[in-house]
Amino acid sequence: MIDAARHHRQRILDEVGESGQQRLARASVAIVGIGGLGSPVALYLAAAGVGRLGLFDDQRVERSNLNRQILFEDRDLGRPKVQAAAERLRRLDPTLRIDARSETIRASNVAGLFMEHDVVVDGTDSFETKFLLNDAAILTGKPLIHGAVLQWSGQALTVMNGGPCLRCLFYDPPDAGVIQTCEEAGVIGAATGVIGSVQAEEVLKILLEVGEPLRGRIFQHDGLRGETRVIAFPRDPKCPVCSRQPRITDLSRYEEQVSPRGYVQR
Amino acid sequence: MPGATLRADQRQRYARHLALAEIGVSGQQTLLRSSVLIVGVGALGSPAALYLAAAGVGTIGLADHDSVRLSNLQRQVVHSMDGLNRAKVEGASRTLHGLNPDISLEAIEATVDERNAMDLLGRFDVIVDGTDSFRARYLLSDAAYLLRKPLVHGSIFRVEGQVTVFVPGRGCYRCLYPQPPPPGVIEDSEEAGVFAPLPGIIGTIQAAETIKLLTGTGEGLVNRVLLHDTMAMSFREVRYRRNPSCPLCGDRPRIHSLVDYGAFTGAEAAR
Repeated sequence: MIDAARHHRQRILDEVGESGQQRLARASVAIVGIGGLGSPVALYLAAAGVGRLGLFDDQRVERSNLNRQILFEDRDLGRPKVQAAAERLRRLDPTLRIDARSETIRASNVAGLFMEHDVVVDGTDSFETKFLLNDAAILTGKPLIHGAVLQWSGQALTVMNGGPCLRCLFYDPPDAGVIQTCEEAGVIGAATGVIGSVQAEEVLKILLEVGEPLRGRIFQHDGLRGETRVIAFPRDPKCPVCSRQPRITDLSRYEEQVSPRGYVQR
Repeated sequence: MPGATLRADQRQRYARHLALAEIGVSGQQTLLRSSVLIVGVGALGSPAALYLAAAGVGTIGLADHDSVRLSNLQRQVVHSMDGLNRAKVEGASRTLHGLNPDISLEAIEATVDERNAMDLLGRFDVIVDGTDSFRARYLLSDAAYLLRKPLVHGSIFRVEGQVTVFVPGRGCYRCLYPQPPPPGVIEDSEEAGVFAPLPGIIGTIQAAETIKLLTGTGEGLVNRVLLHDTMAMSFREVRYRRNPSCPLCGDRPRIHSLVDYGAFTGAEAAR
């Protein structure tokens, strides 16, 4: 039994066991954004034995990705990221089912993304997409693992059916120019590795239904100061998406309710 | 090299570092001139090696005597199927060279032991402990201290892990754990389970700490050990100090050269 040997060291954990390992093999996880965060998320979910991975990214590999995007190699320069990533993951485990899709996630296709997968991981670098994924997680009731990184620091949290959610912490995305991008401000690879690995842990815990997920808690890591903490936060009674009086109610009417940049329409 | 600049392809590859105030061109040049020895190219060594190679650490030594087994691929993400039953250092070198052809890799297919540790560690700026035995941890800590080299320690057990940095004169593994556990009390790591992404967190933090040591930036995990529990998703920091009565780095040291670590940890007796 070749597969029994592959995941032996995980199957013998009380938290996993034979039934847990089978549960992972039957699971499907979407990773949106195959970059700094998506690289460790995909590698560790593939290694752990998650049976099906949906990879979503519309970009091609650039040399400036390679200081942190450990899924790729020099020879992948110019290739679609999802294609290069799928090949790398199959070299790790040829039995994986990988759905490589070079597409952008928008309000028009986000519902399908959540419907087709058990868990969605946010590995994107755009605020609009992060808030769209958050809203879709609440509206579809499917779990989302949020992650974000800049310079030496990053954060992660898990949105589950009923909230709390990203908009309980941040009602709207920051105004343009307030927060610099990784391109402007830089990013260290190891920061993306820490956050991405935390995201992978969260995915596995949710699929296995073990441990305490980061629901209503935010993981914050400052690699430069070597500080790591987890802070609890409550649901905002005025949250525009997960409170009892939401302003965002329907993905088919998303453009009416949320601006293209992710702001709640007043 | 004052006035030295980066090539055009290096400016692209390290663009996100050049934008960081703490690294910039001079920090990147420092990384490219630096050398790191990773002992143990398994669960912890995989992410540590990948992120140090991606960051452009100019020379990376990989020391491991083992070959890749199928059961390693559940967490050792630097390896792949084409390296199966071949030396870990060989497979890892191939992956790292593919990721960054700009750096030099030294594949050392050997167990680091009492005979070769001083020579081996002495050739590198920073040592990363990616091993999985008490015998190796005490050996590396003693050798690094005797050579006055910083050692980035990490260890994992089932669903928990820890990471800290030993800077000579500011505490060592013996200050943290004066005695090894009695043989058999903590099961051999080969028998214990490991949650796949756990070494990703610990090994990646080891890489970040190494980059900080090499570039002299930020606040290292010196005199503090970070403890992570995956199931609770908790991170706890425990402070420790150099032990004045430490036989290695204390006020009146009794250890001036490497000892027999098999005997000290009881690893021999347990066999």
